[in-house]
Amino acid sequence: MKMIRAFIRPEKEQEVVLALEGAGFPSVSKMPVFGRGKQKGLQVGPVHYDELPKTLLMIVVDDEDERKVIDLIQTKAKTGFIGDGKIFVSPVDSAYTVRTGEAGL
Amino acid sequence: MKEITAIIRRDKLPETKQALEELGYPSLTIQSVDGRGKQKGAMCAEMDSEMPESFCTSARLKPTPSTYALEHTLPKVALYVPKRLLTVIVPDDVVTKIVKSLISVNRTGKHGDGKIFVSPVTAAVRIRTGEEDGEAIA
Repeated sequence: MKMIRAFIRPEKEQEVVLALEGAGFPSVSKMPVFGRGKQKGLQVGPVHYDELPKTLLMIVVDDEDERKVIDLIQTKAKTGFIGDGKIFVSPVDSAYTVRTGEAGL
Repeated sequence: MKEITAIIRRDKLPETKQALEELGYPSLTIQSVDGRGKQKGAMCAEMDSEMPESFCTSARLKPTPSTYALEHTLPKVALYVPKRLLTVIVPDDVVTKIVKSLISVNRTGKHGDGKIFVSPVTAAVRIRTGEEDGEAIA
Protein backbone atom coordinates (compact mmCIF):
# COMPACT_ATOMS: atom_id res chain seq x y z
CA MET A 1 0.00 0.00 0.00
CA LYS A 2 1.03 3.59 -0.53
CA MET A 3 0.24 6.75 1.38
CA ILE A 4 -0.32 9.69 -0.93
CA ARG A 5 0.04 13.15 0.59
CA ALA A 6 -1.05 15.95 -1.68
CA PHE A 7 -0.54 19.61 -0.88
CA ILE A 8 -3.09 21.44 -3.00
CA ARG A 9 -4.82 24.79 -3.28
CA PRO A 10 -7.65 24.98 -0.70
CA GLU A 11 -10.12 26.04 -3.40
CA LYS A 12 -9.34 22.92 -5.45
CA GLU A 13 -10.04 20.52 -2.59
CA GLN A 14 -13.73 19.93 -3.39
CA GLU A 15 -12.99 19.27 -7.04
CA VAL A 16 -10.22 16.80 -6.25
CA VAL A 17 -12.16 14.95 -3.53
CA LEU A 18 -15.29 14.59 -5.66
CA ALA A 19 -13.23 13.36 -8.61
CA LEU A 20 -11.56 10.79 -6.36
CA GLU A 21 -14.96 9.72 -5.07
CA GLY A 22 -16.14 9.27 -8.65
CA ALA A 23 -13.11 7.11 -9.42
CA GLY A 24 -13.83 4.87 -6.43
CA PHE A 25 -11.56 6.38 -3.78
CA PRO A 26 -13.97 8.05 -1.33
CA SER A 27 -11.69 7.81 1.72
CA VAL A 28 -9.48 10.79 2.44
CA SER A 29 -8.26 12.83 5.40
CA LYS A 30 -7.69 16.53 4.98
CA MET A 31 -6.01 19.13 7.11
CA PRO A 32 -5.22 22.77 6.64
CA VAL A 33 -1.49 23.52 6.51
CA PHE A 34 0.73 26.53 5.89
CA GLY A 35 3.86 26.23 3.83
CA ARG A 36 6.11 27.62 1.20
CA GLY A 37 7.92 26.23 -1.78
CA LYS A 38 10.76 27.00 -4.13
CA GLN A 39 9.60 30.58 -4.61
CA LYS A 40 9.99 31.21 -0.85
CA GLY A 41 6.43 32.38 -0.49
CA LEU A 42 4.74 35.08 -2.49
CA GLN A 43 5.71 38.68 -3.25
CA VAL A 44 2.82 41.01 -3.98
CA GLY A 45 4.21 44.50 -4.46
CA PRO A 46 5.88 45.48 -1.19
CA VAL A 47 4.13 42.71 0.79
CA HIS A 48 5.86 39.36 1.23
CA TYR A 49 3.84 36.31 2.24
CA ASP A 50 6.22 33.73 3.67
CA GLU A 51 3.72 30.97 4.39
CA LEU A 52 0.75 30.31 2.17
CA PRO A 53 -2.35 28.33 3.12
CA LYS A 54 -2.69 24.92 1.49
CA THR A 55 -4.83 21.86 2.07
CA LEU A 56 -3.11 18.56 2.78
CA LEU A 57 -5.00 15.51 1.53
CA MET A 58 -3.91 12.14 2.87
CA ILE A 59 -5.01 9.02 1.01
CA VAL A 60 -3.88 5.42 1.41
CA VAL A 61 -4.34 3.24 -1.68
CA ASP A 62 -3.26 -0.15 -2.97
CA ASP A 63 -0.04 -0.21 -4.99
CA GLU A 64 -1.79 -0.71 -8.33
CA ASP A 65 -4.02 2.35 -7.83
CA GLU A 66 -1.14 4.68 -7.00
CA ARG A 67 -0.56 6.00 -10.51
CA LYS A 68 -4.27 6.47 -11.15
CA VAL A 69 -4.82 8.55 -8.00
CA ILE A 70 -1.71 10.67 -8.59
CA ASP A 71 -2.78 11.41 -12.17
CA LEU A 72 -6.29 12.29 -11.00
CA ILE A 73 -5.07 14.68 -8.30
CA GLN A 74 -2.58 16.20 -10.72
CA THR A 75 -5.13 16.93 -13.44
CA LYS A 76 -7.79 18.22 -11.05
CA ALA A 77 -5.56 20.38 -8.84
CA LYS A 78 -3.69 21.92 -11.76
CA THR A 79 -4.13 25.57 -12.66
CA GLY A 80 -0.78 26.02 -14.39
CA PHE A 81 0.33 28.80 -12.05
CA ILE A 82 3.00 28.67 -9.36
CA GLY A 83 1.59 27.33 -6.09
CA ASP A 84 -0.39 24.36 -7.36
CA GLY A 85 1.29 22.17 -4.77
CA LYS A 86 3.14 18.90 -4.50
CA ILE A 87 2.31 15.23 -4.19
CA PHE A 88 4.39 12.87 -2.03
CA VAL A 89 4.09 9.09 -1.93
CA SER A 90 5.42 6.93 0.89
CA PRO A 91 5.19 3.20 1.61
CA VAL A 92 2.68 1.74 4.08
CA ASP A 93 3.36 -1.76 5.45
CA SER A 94 -0.10 -2.53 6.76
CA ALA A 95 -3.50 -0.99 7.43
CA TYR A 96 -6.17 -1.94 9.95
CA THR A 97 -9.85 -1.08 10.26
CA VAL A 98 -10.51 -0.29 13.93
CA ARG A 99 -14.18 -1.35 13.82
CA THR A 100 -13.40 -4.91 12.72
CA GLY A 101 -9.71 -5.19 13.57
CA GLU A 102 -9.13 -6.64 10.09
CA ALA A 103 -5.94 -5.97 8.19
CA GLY A 104 -6.25 -4.33 4.79
CA LEU A 105 -7.90 -1.23 3.43
CA MET B 1 11.33 1.86 13.37
CA LYS B 2 7.76 2.14 12.28
CA GLU B 3 5.37 5.04 12.14
CA ILE B 4 1.87 4.19 13.31
CA THR B 5 -0.74 6.63 12.01
CA ALA B 6 -4.12 6.20 13.65
CA ILE B 7 -7.23 8.11 12.65
CA ILE B 8 -9.66 7.81 15.56
CA ARG B 9 -12.81 9.29 17.06
CA ARG B 10 -12.25 12.58 18.83
CA ASP B 11 -13.77 11.42 22.13
CA LYS B 12 -11.50 8.36 22.31
CA LEU B 13 -8.30 10.41 22.56
CA PRO B 14 -7.91 10.44 26.38
CA GLU B 15 -8.37 6.66 26.61
CA THR B 16 -5.95 6.10 23.75
CA LYS B 17 -3.32 8.28 25.38
CA GLN B 18 -3.80 6.38 28.63
CA ALA B 19 -3.41 3.03 26.86
CA LEU B 20 -0.20 4.12 25.10
CA GLU B 21 1.17 5.41 28.40
CA GLU B 22 0.51 2.07 30.07
CA LEU B 23 2.38 0.28 27.27
CA GLY B 24 5.37 2.55 27.88
CA TYR B 25 5.19 4.58 24.67
CA PRO B 26 3.76 7.91 25.79
CA SER B 27 5.25 10.08 23.01
CA LEU B 28 2.82 10.96 20.27
CA THR B 29 1.75 13.73 17.90
CA ILE B 30 -1.91 14.69 17.68
CA GLN B 31 -3.58 16.51 14.82
CA SER B 32 -7.15 17.60 14.23
CA VAL B 33 -8.24 16.43 10.80
CA ASP B 34 -11.43 16.17 8.79
CA GLY B 35 -11.92 12.84 7.15
CA ARG B 36 -14.22 10.63 5.20
CA GLY B 37 -14.20 6.92 4.56
CA LYS B 38 -16.22 4.38 2.60
CA GLN B 39 -19.46 5.98 3.89
CA LYS B 40 -18.38 9.27 2.29
CA GLY B 41 -18.77 11.31 5.48
CA ALA B 42 -22.27 10.03 6.32
CA MET B 43 -24.32 11.66 9.10
CA CYS B 44 -23.88 10.07 12.49
CA ALA B 45 -27.59 9.20 12.72
CA GLU B 46 -27.14 6.98 9.68
CA MET B 47 -24.09 5.43 11.21
CA ASP B 48 -25.78 4.68 14.50
CA SER B 49 -29.54 4.87 14.99
CA GLU B 50 -29.22 4.51 18.77
CA MET B 51 -27.12 7.61 19.14
CA PRO B 52 -28.97 10.31 21.11
CA GLU B 53 -30.33 13.26 19.11
CA SER B 54 -28.19 15.74 21.05
CA PHE B 55 -25.06 14.03 19.78
CA CYS B 56 -26.04 14.48 16.16
CA THR B 57 -26.92 18.15 16.51
CA SER B 58 -23.70 19.05 18.31
CA ALA B 59 -21.11 20.54 16.00
CA ARG B 60 -18.55 18.15 17.44
CA LEU B 61 -19.87 15.14 15.56
CA LYS B 62 -21.70 16.71 12.67
CA PRO B 63 -20.12 16.26 9.25
CA THR B 64 -19.25 19.59 7.71
CA PRO B 65 -18.84 20.68 4.12
CA SER B 66 -15.62 22.56 3.44
CA THR B 67 -15.59 26.34 3.74
CA TYR B 68 -15.16 26.63 0.00
CA ALA B 69 -18.31 24.58 -0.61
CA LEU B 70 -20.28 26.74 1.84
CA GLU B 71 -19.17 29.96 0.16
CA HIS B 72 -19.93 28.78 -3.35
CA THR B 73 -23.13 26.72 -2.77
CA LEU B 74 -21.98 23.86 -4.94
CA PRO B 75 -24.59 21.39 -6.29
CA LYS B 76 -22.71 18.53 -4.65
CA VAL B 77 -20.35 18.91 -1.72
CA ALA B 78 -17.97 16.54 -0.04
CA LEU B 79 -18.77 16.02 3.65
CA TYR B 80 -16.20 15.39 6.37
CA VAL B 81 -16.37 14.03 9.88
CA PRO B 82 -14.00 15.61 12.42
CA LYS B 83 -11.36 13.11 13.60
CA ARG B 84 -8.08 12.97 15.50
CA LEU B 85 -4.93 11.81 13.77
CA LEU B 86 -2.24 10.32 16.02
CA THR B 87 1.33 9.66 14.94
CA VAL B 88 3.50 7.38 17.05
CA ILE B 89 7.03 6.28 16.15
CA VAL B 90 7.95 2.96 17.77
CA PRO B 91 10.55 0.18 17.43
CA ASP B 92 9.69 -2.68 15.06
CA ASP B 93 9.10 -5.34 17.72
CA VAL B 94 6.25 -3.57 19.55
CA VAL B 95 4.19 -2.60 16.49
CA THR B 96 1.76 -5.52 16.82
CA LYS B 97 1.26 -4.90 20.53
CA ILE B 98 0.49 -1.22 20.02
CA VAL B 99 -1.80 -1.80 17.03
CA LYS B 100 -3.77 -4.38 19.04
CA SER B 101 -4.09 -2.03 21.97
CA LEU B 102 -5.19 0.87 19.72
CA ILE B 103 -7.83 -1.35 18.14
CA SER B 104 -9.20 -2.62 21.45
CA VAL B 105 -9.39 0.88 22.96
CA ASN B 106 -10.97 2.58 19.95
CA ARG B 107 -13.38 -0.09 18.81
CA THR B 108 -17.08 0.67 19.27
CA GLY B 109 -18.29 -1.59 16.45
CA LYS B 110 -19.93 1.30 14.59
CA HIS B 111 -18.84 2.82 11.30
CA GLY B 112 -16.36 5.62 11.80
CA ASP B 113 -14.04 3.93 14.29
CA GLY B 114 -11.12 4.85 12.08
CA LYS B 115 -8.08 3.33 10.43
CA ILE B 116 -4.54 2.51 11.49
CA PHE B 117 -1.62 2.63 9.07
CA VAL B 118 1.88 1.29 9.70
CA SER B 119 4.71 2.62 7.56
CA PRO B 120 8.51 2.36 7.73
CA VAL B 121 10.72 5.18 9.08
CA THR B 122 14.31 5.18 7.89
CA ALA B 123 15.89 7.69 10.26
CA ALA B 124 15.22 9.61 13.46
CA VAL B 125 17.22 12.28 15.24
CA ARG B 126 16.67 13.84 18.66
CA ILE B 127 17.34 17.50 18.09
CA ARG B 128 18.44 18.31 21.66
CA THR B 129 21.27 15.76 21.79
CA GLY B 130 21.79 14.66 18.19
CA GLU B 131 21.12 11.01 19.11
CA GLU B 132 20.09 8.95 16.12
CA ASP B 133 17.62 6.19 15.26
CA GLY B 134 16.85 3.80 18.15
CA GLU B 135 18.18 6.10 20.85
CA ALA B 136 16.25 9.05 19.48
CA ILE B 137 12.87 7.44 20.08
CA ALA B 138 13.74 5.63 23.32
